[in-house]
Amino acid sequence: MIYSWKKIVKHGLPLLTITIFIEVFAGQILLGKQELLLLLPIFLISIPVINSIGGNIGSVLGARLASGLHVGYVGLSLKDKEMHDNFLMSLLIGFITYLILAIVIYFIASFGDLVEDIALIEFVAIIVFTGVLLLLIVSLVSVLTALISFKRGLDPDDMVAPVVTTLSDVLGITFLFFIIGVVGI
Amino acid sequence: MYAKEMVKQSLPLFIFCGLGAIVAGSTLGIMTNLLRELPGLIVIVPAIIALRGNISTAFGSRLGSAYHLGVIDVDNLWNEELKQNILGSLILSFLVSIIIGVLAYVTSLLVGVYPDPIKLIVIVIIAGVVSGIILTLMTIVIIYLVFRRGYDPDNITGPALATFGDIVTMLCLFGSALFVEVVL
Repeated sequence: MIYSWKKIVKHGLPLLTITIFIEVFAGQILLGKQELLLLLPIFLISIPVINSIGGNIGSVLGARLASGLHVGYVGLSLKDKEMHDNFLMSLLIGFITYLILAIVIYFIASFGDLVEDIALIEFVAIIVFTGVLLLLIVSLVSVLTALISFKRGLDPDDMVAPVVTTLSDVLGITFLFFIIGVVGI
Repeated sequence: MYAKEMVKQSLPLFIFCGLGAIVAGSTLGIMTNLLRELPGLIVIVPAIIALRGNISTAFGSRLGSAYHLGVIDVDNLWNEELKQNILGSLILSFLVSIIIGVLAYVTSLLVGVYPDPIKLIVIVIIAGVVSGIILTLMTIVIIYLVFRRGYDPDNITGPALATFGDIVTMLCLFGSALFVEVVL
């Protein structure tokens, strides 16, 4: 037999525990801003969207680079052309994704009468700015994680996704409140 | 063109995942009363979504590897290997749920919010284990369908579980918080 529940628990627990510590920290940021979120639930709806898109696009970028590094068409350097192209494409695809989803969220929220205090253009601008800022950092970390783990002989496929999704959760929430503060709601 | 291909292949998938996340977010949006009545509940939201995502995608990718290794297939799915995987995932869900509950309680005390520790921990455990059972069953059904069509499970289980995982987890958290608020 290959699998045993004891092994699965023993291998899974350490990394999960570290992840959970960071995620509870993200949760505490939400608790600190709970009043704002309860007054403007449209941002409550947006949080899983911001975080999951950041994690998804970052992970896909990492997976593409990992395949490229394994096969050899991506070079082991931050100046690699292929790497730059992938990085910029992630930002572009992220920009389009956040733009479309922000509009969808706004219309869904308008059915629940949740948009009295905020205009469409203002909401979309906040989500897109948050998203692009998030992707800028997450894509950079994704590239660095892929490069460093590959250089050290670890498989980037195992490393990038957990690092990038956890980071997205914390930074997505942080940047959202930062941008809301800058716009001044 | 290279860039055009990338947009064409990945944009629909990201939009689809995003729509799933909107459903999960809307569940959070209708929980505003519960969030008010149960201080500290909001702290466990990112952690429980991450717990579910990590455990289910690992479960899915282990089943994918098991398929490639030939230890499970469409005629021999419900065997000891699969049972050990299910047991491992559920025990892991249970243990990590306890850690989330305790950690959310202790860190809330540090910032001057005083949740009911029993309620908070019970909510996480119920939500963590029930969503674990539902997603485990969903994974097995997905894997079964994927096998029958002869596709590679590695390409399907990841995105499918990531999308459904968020929704199922938030619904379970909503149900569990409602249940605990009424019963305890």
